[in-house]
Amino acid sequence: MFVAPVDALVDPFTTPYMQRALLAVVLLSVAGGLFGAWIALRRLAFFTHAVGTATFPGLVVAAPAGIAAPVAAMGAALIYTAGLARLLRDGRLRADAATGLLLVAALAIGSILAGDVFASGAGVDRLLFGTLLGLSDTDLWLAGAVALLALLSTALLGRTWLATGFDPGGAGALGVPSRLGDWLLLGGLALAVVASLPAVGALLVSTLLVVPSATARLLAGSMRGLLLGGVGLALAEGICGLWLADGANLPPGPAIAVLGGVVFAAVALVREAT
Amino acid sequence: MSLVEVSGIVTGYTPGRPALSGVTFSLDAGEAVAVLGPNGGGKTTLLRLLLGELPVMAGTCAVEGSPAYVAQAGRARLDFPVSALDVVLMGAYARTPAWRRLGRGERERARAVLDRVGLAPQAGTRFGALSGGQRQRVLIARALLQDAALLLLDEPFTGVDRASEAGLLAILDELRAEGRGLLVSTHDIDHARRWDKVLCLNGAQIAFGAPADALTAQALHATYGEELVTLGEETVAVHSHHDHG
Repeated sequence: MFVAPVDALVDPFTTPYMQRALLAVVLLSVAGGLFGAWIALRRLAFFTHAVGTATFPGLVVAAPAGIAAPVAAMGAALIYTAGLARLLRDGRLRADAATGLLLVAALAIGSILAGDVFASGAGVDRLLFGTLLGLSDTDLWLAGAVALLALLSTALLGRTWLATGFDPGGAGALGVPSRLGDWLLLGGLALAVVASLPAVGALLVSTLLVVPSATARLLAGSMRGLLLGGVGLALAEGICGLWLADGANLPPGPAIAVLGGVVFAAVALVREAT
Repeated sequence: MSLVEVSGIVTGYTPGRPALSGVTFSLDAGEAVAVLGPNGGGKTTLLRLLLGELPVMAGTCAVEGSPAYVAQAGRARLDFPVSALDVVLMGAYARTPAWRRLGRGERERARAVLDRVGLAPQAGTRFGALSGGQRQRVLIARALLQDAALLLLDEPFTGVDRASEAGLLAILDELRAEGRGLLVSTHDIDHARRWDKVLCLNGAQIAFGAPADALTAQALHATYGEELVTLGEETVAVHSHHDHG
């Protein structure tokens, strides 16, 4: 009599396409939880969302131009970041305003390219919201590489990122390579965004890279707690979202996003009440 | 032993646009020098130069070893999930290879310097939950863990109540007595008077010497200009914001 509920939990993951989705969730949760901790601490959540969205025109152009999607997405992310740096150079625009301005521009350019130039049709949905149920081997290898990168960079650069974020003015005197560390953090984030695109699309990269760690941030009292909590929550939300999506016949990316939002709201409410 | 030798220095943030010029002074081991000036007068610029973060546009600048920098506690992120001990341990980052964990020895040393600044019981307390004076002491403990011969303190008394200020001054006196050099930026003339020497800055060097010689009415007027209010025999420098210059 205890077998049936266990079967109900496990059965959805017996099909090959769900097993691939599960593997992707595990790998992307490691990358998302670890990079997400630094995103939350360094107040890069909006930037991360914007970089994800900015890859949309690159993804639209990729197939017609014969460019690999990750390369086109990375190119678009770099162009976006360079444009942002240029807008902020003279100090007349606030960072959030410039980020939003370019985000809208990227989305608009992507829409025009998809609708009027390349007539991308139904493929646009997949570019914007991803599909965990149709991942290629390349997608999984990329997710694995970024998970490894997140582990290595947190181990080797975590102290630099912590000292620089905590006290930007004093970090240089502590002997940590602050500027190099910042560039490597932004580069790692861009790669994590690109690796998340096949699973959750250009509009939902925050689902894995921001929301779990933002939730863990509400609870964590230490860096270790934040890092492990972010990975744990990303895993839990990813697996539960996948299970719910399969049972309710929903797209997995949006299901995980909604679940993440609900968990964040619940934790925030409980924390406020206590 | 001279820890700092600066002669005719010109420095700044933008090529061709000096933010500070004509500065000549020295600081010996066991000596404390106050850097006095208004907001934007060049105090933080001088500290950044000594840290090697700004270029020497003209003149010469020699600094013994790697100085430790004690930032204003208010500029650190109070929402970070780091304890007082975590912050102090940052002082050991430079000598610990990135691929190695901070060892037990470093943790014991960190606890010892926290004890020295009177915060051993607060080792596990979140940095943001400490008072302003306690945070400043944690940052001094971090500099002590760096084991630097020279400490550069940027407005260490900003946001610190009187009781904590007395505790901080006692710690700084101890450090000076054990042979460390202190360069303390301040906008407070009373604080400047208690150190061995005073360097008055306002975009350029106004005066340098023992407090009795450097803090003349003329030098203070040149340093603070319109911001200076004179009350009888006492002179008070009025400021509106924390220093960023």
